[in-house]
Amino acid sequence: MAFPASAVGARRAASFPSHIVVTAAAVAIALVILVAAQQSQPRLALYWVLGLGVGLVLQRGRLCFAGAFRDLFLMRNGGMLRAILVGLAMAAPVFALIEARAVPEPGFGALASGAHVVPLGLNLPVGGVLFGIGMVVAGGCVSGTLYRIGEGYLASWASLFGILVGLSAAAHTWNAWYTFTIQSAPLGWLPTSVGYGGAVVLTWLALAAAYVGTFWWESRGASGPGFTVPSNRKTVGDPVTLGDHLRAVYRNVLGKGWPPLAAVTALVLLNIAAFLVDTPLGVTGELAAWADRAAGLVGLAAGPLLGVDTLAGCSLAVGANGVINPTTLLDAGLVFGALIAALAAREFKVRVARQRRRYVQSFAGGALMGYGAGIGIGCTIGAFFSAIPSLGLSGWIFGLALLLGAAVGTQVIRRIA
Amino acid sequence: MSKQLDVRGEICPYPMMKASEALKNLSSGESLQVLTDHAPALSTIPWEAAKQGYRASIERVGSPEWLITLEPAEGRSQAELVADLGQQLEAVGALDD
Repeated sequence: MAFPASAVGARRAASFPSHIVVTAAAVAIALVILVAAQQSQPRLALYWVLGLGVGLVLQRGRLCFAGAFRDLFLMRNGGMLRAILVGLAMAAPVFALIEARAVPEPGFGALASGAHVVPLGLNLPVGGVLFGIGMVVAGGCVSGTLYRIGEGYLASWASLFGILVGLSAAAHTWNAWYTFTIQSAPLGWLPTSVGYGGAVVLTWLALAAAYVGTFWWESRGASGPGFTVPSNRKTVGDPVTLGDHLRAVYRNVLGKGWPPLAAVTALVLLNIAAFLVDTPLGVTGELAAWADRAAGLVGLAAGPLLGVDTLAGCSLAVGANGVINPTTLLDAGLVFGALIAALAAREFKVRVARQRRRYVQSFAGGALMGYGAGIGIGCTIGAFFSAIPSLGLSGWIFGLALLLGAAVGTQVIRRIA
Repeated sequence: MSKQLDVRGEICPYPMMKASEALKNLSSGESLQVLTDHAPALSTIPWEAAKQGYRASIERVGSPEWLITLEPAEGRSQAELVADLGQQLEAVGALDD
């Protein structure tokens, strides 16, 4: 017995030419937006390009931070997390150089502008755990939700709505968190006490320990270490002609998912570019602004938030420049970049979850993530991937809390069929 | 004999979890066909299947849809099955298929 022909293979013949046309149309729209942004404000255009790049990398690399943490517990597979740790090790010295240009003498205590380093309050572990649970329950973190929207997953819209609700709830409780713990917490920026060199070395040592730790964890499982999905880079038959080589490149870039380390490296380069422009990547700050505007429409705006302008990273500070900010273009570009990548790779499809509880699950996970990101001052990107190479301790606390949250979240999804 | 499992519309980790559950419920010698539209499942399902002693073959059958056939692989070690996965994943998602 096989699947009925209507279920499989029916669309194969028609799909090949049409996806090129649709991809070209999407690229044309992206270029029109680029030109319009450039004429309005060059910075907008820059962030649009950065966003497109991030969306492309996340989609082609299937770079799912939620999965990286979750699969450590669900499958005892730390492959993706190890790639992320290597990426952080690559970013750290470059971030240090960028910071050192702004603050040559870190010993005086001034934080380099733009660095994603926030005070070490109790809000970080609490926010990180909530975020970790939420991302596993929702099936993707905030950036994951955005790129899955670009791939056509309808349930990801429920996650996004949940994230906005959670961020709004976080804004309403922000002042209490700020006076309770954030205001008086130490900053924990390593270069202040050990210099840039010392901070990079300490960061590398901690990353190396985490790297080894993932192997230790895998080796405790039934299947033992080294039992991981092999690289899919091997080519079948050696390319001979120029055409063979070009076809192989085309297949590697658009036919198959990128190897984790290639995708992470590309994301690190985009993060360095973002820091050179202004501040490292972060996607939740912009969503927080939208959440507050939307809440305002129904009379639930949070009002003035204490201290947000003094905090770096993805704080709940609402951009003062009106509705369209550079980060608006970053988030929109992320969705659109993932859409283009998915169209080009024939992986776009409007996907309807068949079980209605998936939408509830996505919303609930999103709300937990939104609240966690709101009080934790960022998501897996802003408070972790951009924070650890910024050489503060806040990224480590948030990251460890994500790990704990992911462990709890994995137990939760095991109970939701 | 072969059983079918349609996990279209599901995202990680459910395609893998449902496939894993279905494999455990197969009687000996039976194979399983999994239909998915979630590309990340192409590496997680064969990985989980290899752990349970099944060999995977993947065919792109739609845009984007893949049919993963999991067959019992008697006498093959996990290491051999995992080595096979490299070959399988090579063929996946090819645009010129």
